[in-house]
Amino acid sequence: MKYMIMTFGEAATMMETKSKDWITDMIQFMHTLDEDLRQSGELVDAQGLADGSQAKTVRFLDGLPVATDGPFAESKESLVGYWVVDVDGEERAIEIASRIVAFVEEPIEVRQIMDAPPEV
Amino acid sequence: MSTDSRVEDLLRELAPQVLGALARRHGQFDACEDAVQEALLAAALQWPDGGLPDSPRSWLLAVASRRLVDEWRSDSSRRRREEAVAVLDVPGQPTDQDDTLTLLFLCCHPSLSVPSQLALTLRAVGGLTTAEIATALMVPVTTMAQRISRAKQSIKSAGVRFGLPAEAERADRLMVVLRVLYLVFNEGYTTSSGPALLRADLTSEAIRLARMLHRLMPAEGEVVGLLALMLLTDARRAARTTADGSPVPLDEQRRELWNTAQIEEGVALITSTLGAVPVGPYQLQAAIAAVHDESASAEETDWPQIRALYEVLERVLPSPVVTLNRAVAVAMVDGPRAGLAVLGTLDSDDRLAHTHRLEAVRGHLLELAGEAAAARESYRRAARMTASLPEQRYLALQAARLG
Repeated sequence: MKYMIMTFGEAATMMETKSKDWITDMIQFMHTLDEDLRQSGELVDAQGLADGSQAKTVRFLDGLPVATDGPFAESKESLVGYWVVDVDGEERAIEIASRIVAFVEEPIEVRQIMDAPPEV
Repeated sequence: MSTDSRVEDLLRELAPQVLGALARRHGQFDACEDAVQEALLAAALQWPDGGLPDSPRSWLLAVASRRLVDEWRSDSSRRRREEAVAVLDVPGQPTDQDDTLTLLFLCCHPSLSVPSQLALTLRAVGGLTTAEIATALMVPVTTMAQRISRAKQSIKSAGVRFGLPAEAERADRLMVVLRVLYLVFNEGYTTSSGPALLRADLTSEAIRLARMLHRLMPAEGEVVGLLALMLLTDARRAARTTADGSPVPLDEQRRELWNTAQIEEGVALITSTLGAVPVGPYQLQAAIAAVHDESASAEETDWPQIRALYEVLERVLPSPVVTLNRAVAVAMVDGPRAGLAVLGTLDSDDRLAHTHRLEAVRGHLLELAGEAAAARESYRRAARMTASLPEQRYLALQAARLG
């Protein structure tokens, strides 16, 4: 089963409140985590998104799509990065997410990726 | 070297020659390309165990031709079309060199989008499979297959003849080819996303193709320059990131990790061309890379020489990125304030005003000038603007370091 593990907020802004040592540890932690998931054969994809201040939102205004600066959501609700993992079940996905939460001390969302249509 | 990798190297060397010969004879690039891919696959399966044929090139040409004929026979209405095209034979006796070069120009045809030029070059000239290209560029295989197929379709519908570009447009077309090869190199060299190990292969492939182009056009100064630039840049690969993928700036790199053989080759190449031919941007960038690579330590870097080279580069190819790099050289020669003054001239330049590099360099120069608080703000702004995850973390670290 595939799950998406999502982090929210803004990485650059968040790091501005952290110490040099914390950032150094975080880089090591993320590197080790990705490597562990790759070794266990569970990592499908992991990506970080550029800062929300660089985002554009395209809205439907007066009958036309119009691009505006900034993310659609509040910055604390804006997606900042994700892992896609292929695991035995939800329990394992939550276990992976817990490992991240224990380090970053921020909430993380775990959602199953929907399957292809069932056999009929 | 194992038999498998010897066979692979040989196949990739022969791939553009066979495709070139076939396309010249039949004038049907897309069908020929499919046929050659099938012949390469057959060879990759048969040669490692069965041994090499007497003439590997003729073997591939024969198998590919047979596939082509089979394909035509399977569709009779199409066959009539193909036969009409097949008589379109180019007079004279072109060589393998001409064919490979023609193929490279064709894959880098200006009517194709840049991602298509890249993909088609890697497949038709590089002899990589669609799956290998997809993995290297990190897109799904089906997407890459479609991109390549559409690129071949575009060449077909644009009615491009299989032949070298006319003399009048040759120089411009060569610039496109060089840009495509440099992009392949940079895709491999920048570890901005994805597993770094996979992408290093693209760097080697770009160098291999640049070497091939250099053999085909030894007198072209910019071809020499590009090959030298790639070698001199790639020479620092082992030192430019830490084990966890963080970037290491040039002045902090462990120079004993640099590849001395590649540096020697790059320096010899660029020395052979500078002064002998009209100087171009690739040669100048290679010369700058050579000055860095030949310095025993960061302190011993010949910054006045680098500044002079950037001044010439700025005249040959004015761009805000070049000015940015010149600002660093000026700072190293005349002090950080002088460098910051050069940066100031870029603030009104829309092309660079919103990129992270300007802020990252400004942060560095402000720090050298002893302005910690302003430097920290610049690093933070740069961290918010960059599209590279390792660089974002590196810049955040620089800001945090300043308290």
